[in-house]
Amino acid sequence: MKPYILLVEDNEDDIELTQRAFDKNHIINEVVVLRDGAEACDFLFGDRGGRSLPQVILLDLKLPKISGLEVLEKIRASEDTHLIPTVILTSSKQEEDLLEGYRLGVNSYVRKPVDFNEFVEAVRQVGLYWLVLNEAPPQGIHI
Amino acid sequence: MADGTTTDAAVLQPNLALVLERITDGFFALDADWRIAYMNAEARRLLHVESDPIGRVWLEAFPKARGRLFEREYSRAMREQTPVQFVEYSATAECWFEVKAYPSADGLSVYFRDVSSRIEAQREVERNARRQRAIIDFGRSVLGGLSFEELLADAIDLLRDVLEAPIVEIYSYDRLRGRLVASGVVGWNPGASLDAFAPELDHLEHALRTGEPFVSGDLRVDPRARRMPELMSNGVRACICALVGTPADPKGMIVVYATTSRTFAVGDVRFVESLAQTIAEASSSIESSRRMRQVVETVRDGFVSFDRDLRITYANERFARFWGRTPETMIGESIAIHTDPLGDTGGRVYRALLETLQSQQSATIETQYRDRWHELRMYPFSDGVAAYVRDITRRKTEEQRIRDLNAELEARVAERTKQLQLANKELESFSYSVSHDLRAPLRAIDGFSQALVEDYGEQLDERAQNYLDRVRKAAQRMASLIDALLQLAKVARAAVTYTRVDLTAIARSFAEELHDRDPERRVEFAIEPALVALGEPNLLRAVLENLMGNAWKFTRKTENPRISVGRTDAGGEFFVRDNGAGFDMAYGNKLFGAFQRLHANEEFEGTGIGLATVARIVHRHGGTIRAEGETGKGATFYFSLPHRPDGVE
Repeated sequence: MKPYILLVEDNEDDIELTQRAFDKNHIINEVVVLRDGAEACDFLFGDRGGRSLPQVILLDLKLPKISGLEVLEKIRASEDTHLIPTVILTSSKQEEDLLEGYRLGVNSYVRKPVDFNEFVEAVRQVGLYWLVLNEAPPQGIHI
Repeated sequence: MADGTTTDAAVLQPNLALVLERITDGFFALDADWRIAYMNAEARRLLHVESDPIGRVWLEAFPKARGRLFEREYSRAMREQTPVQFVEYSATAECWFEVKAYPSADGLSVYFRDVSSRIEAQREVERNARRQRAIIDFGRSVLGGLSFEELLADAIDLLRDVLEAPIVEIYSYDRLRGRLVASGVVGWNPGASLDAFAPELDHLEHALRTGEPFVSGDLRVDPRARRMPELMSNGVRACICALVGTPADPKGMIVVYATTSRTFAVGDVRFVESLAQTIAEASSSIESSRRMRQVVETVRDGFVSFDRDLRITYANERFARFWGRTPETMIGESIAIHTDPLGDTGGRVYRALLETLQSQQSATIETQYRDRWHELRMYPFSDGVAAYVRDITRRKTEEQRIRDLNAELEARVAERTKQLQLANKELESFSYSVSHDLRAPLRAIDGFSQALVEDYGEQLDERAQNYLDRVRKAAQRMASLIDALLQLAKVARAAVTYTRVDLTAIARSFAEELHDRDPERRVEFAIEPALVALGEPNLLRAVLENLMGNAWKFTRKTENPRISVGRTDAGGEFFVRDNGAGFDMAYGNKLFGAFQRLHANEEFEGTGIGLATVARIVHRHGGTIRAEGETGKGATFYFSLPHRPDGVE
């Protein structure tokens, strides 16, 4: 199975735009979208329908049910998932969120720009770095 | 012994006469008719006999012996035919004689010798003992609580008695007038000239000045006694004059006068001195205890003292009044009458008193009795314990009121804090929503407009594309407005901590950044060195970046643009100055309000929030900000920051 991207995002517009940004950057990895924090947890720690763990997780913060930061905390606390590269992709650049994100061990914190061109550029860089340049940890590769 | 009737030296046997002349005692012989039959040379010398006494009647030759032991004992010896022996003072010889007389049928043989020195020594020993007894007695009188006047009277009696001096004067020192005032005089004849007491007399002046006693055995020949004729005309011949106290702190004077010249013994002088010293001590102790008593009587606080068995030995008015009593009736009462040792308050008082008594350390307790609060301070006190009782009801009430007020205030502060925290929380969640939820739609507007252009550009004419472009610009502008508003809100909430901030370094690095952002522009920067302020580094950086950013922006259309950052000489205000578009001072008051803009967006872009943020930061530091400008000639923004963070919110 090909390495895929897990996008945890509840805003349909943002899902569409993010997907579009991937496409424009020719990132062809499959993007699995989950629409709230509870769904993300069920997926990561429970039934993935035969899938391996994702290559990278893009995590919004403001999520229904379980917040992004809580999901991040669970990811880092679990033996299976704690090494998965996780990037916060959010509208906010509140200092508290930044600090808490890094404290919980996020790999990157990316603020979604309003300007779509800038957004495409941000997604390009995230994809380039985490999917191409970065060597994933051994257990992260479940091919 | 000679036959007596016609006894003279001639009839004595030559050998006997030789013996009698040689003995060191005085010797004389009387016949049965009391005529002097023989007198040896020593006797003549001792008795100052000049003409020949032989054959004279003894009492006629020595009339001063009449009525004295000499006459009485000689008579007895002859009458009873028994030897006699005695010691007596001879007025004739002015010395003491030890006499032995042997009777015979025809007369009396008398041997005598001068024992004055022995007698004097004995008498001196006795006098010393007397003086010592007197000093001890006097000391007892002092301790016995005699009044000062009674003590002086006592002292005068002792002086007259011990020194056998007829006249004694005691002066007290009048501090106000700086002179001695006679306060006790005994022995003067009625009608003696009062001028005699004049304190400027030599002896008084001498003792007062030197602190040494003035002693004179014979004033008539004493060169120091020049100005004392009145005294002498009143019969004074000798004196001892001793200062009570010290020359620095004189309290009085003791003067002893004798009406005959006499040699005062060292012991006499010492005696007067000790008495003077005792009186001085008594005077200060009486004075201090009188003052003490006065204080204790008049204070508004209660004072009570107890003996070892906790029976009242003293109580002042105030204390007695508290119990509805008079002090006199309380003396001797046990503490137990007034406080129940088994009661709560009484027990504490009782234990504290006992504790003070045993530990000899003072203690303080507070008690409540009925509606009154008292502070009891207890001291170990002359073989018992004293307590000082102060009514502290008022203080206690005040304390309680302050406590109540504080509690109320705290409750109110807590309430307000809770409200504020709530408000802050709301504000936080508001800005959180703003930054999340307001931006997301903007992103959709921008993103899908862009997608429309990209995917369906061919189906859109130029005008449609232009509209979409405007939609995107508006969305982006709104995004930057939201960011600016969030920044403004953040400044309002940020805590200001003061550190030294190098404004010069910040200005220089930001100038570089501006050049990097816009490399085509040529702007001259003049940044003063060593601009240092106290404040929050991030906030002060925002101030400079906003002001310099504005200057950069508004000099875009200026030839030879120039931006300077510095500090005024006079007020020490910092400033950022440019020679750009400037502004009309008429609208100057609108500069620092949020969303206030003096330029059309097409002319100079901007959110209208930057200066509001700057002003808020400066105010948060306790500083002030103002602007000067002229349309087309540039603008200067001045801001002050306090040197010390005093009085800053």
